[in-house]
Amino acid sequence: MIREVISDTLLALAVLTVAASAVGVAVSQNAYARLHYVTPAAVVAPVLVALAVFVTEGLDQNTGETVLALVFLVAAAPFLSHATIRAARIREQGNWRDVPPVPDSAAPDSTVPDRSARGGTDSGAEAVRAREAS
Amino acid sequence: MTSFVIAAIAMLVALVPAGVTLARGALADAVVGFEFITSVAVMIFALLAEGFKRPGLFEFPVILAVLLFGSGLVFVRALERWL
Repeated sequence: MIREVISDTLLALAVLTVAASAVGVAVSQNAYARLHYVTPAAVVAPVLVALAVFVTEGLDQNTGETVLALVFLVAAAPFLSHATIRAARIREQGNWRDVPPVPDSAAPDSTVPDRSARGGTDSGAEAVRAREAS
Repeated sequence: MTSFVIAAIAMLVALVPAGVTLARGALADAVVGFEFITSVAVMIFALLAEGFKRPGLFEFPVILAVLLFGSGLVFVRALERWL
């Protein structure tokens, strides 16, 4: 009896997490904001589901396979989020760094803003500039 | 009908907003919707396998979780390079 109560509570929390995330994905303004709501559904809810299976079944094969799926989900989520944001940024700006892309025909020094003049250093921007110049 | 099946049905209903985003949003939004739907689908398969007491069906969420990573990266790379 107590196992059922705990399992049902965990499942209810998982469903609430997914539902809230779904609403967040639907109402957010752009892909960057939407991605924030994928993380709870990909990390928190699977943990709750795996716990519910564990409470119901105990340590057996079903629990092991659910935990395995959970591990893959949790491991993949940050990589996918990073790759998605990178792709969206490249799509919007042509470059995922905070530097505008340098046209091939233009001189690098005339198009790339000089960050050192503002007192900042950006090794990533320097690397891009050096690569484009070569 | 066990609580696992009810939870699976509730999660299926929760996929509708993400499906609308996937169908009607911009390309980057659609990729995000795809990732959300795939993540939730992994849980739905696990819930249904537990709800119907079919241990063999627990292979589905494991395989789908692995494929989620690969397919997600393929979509993202395509979005980044060619679309």
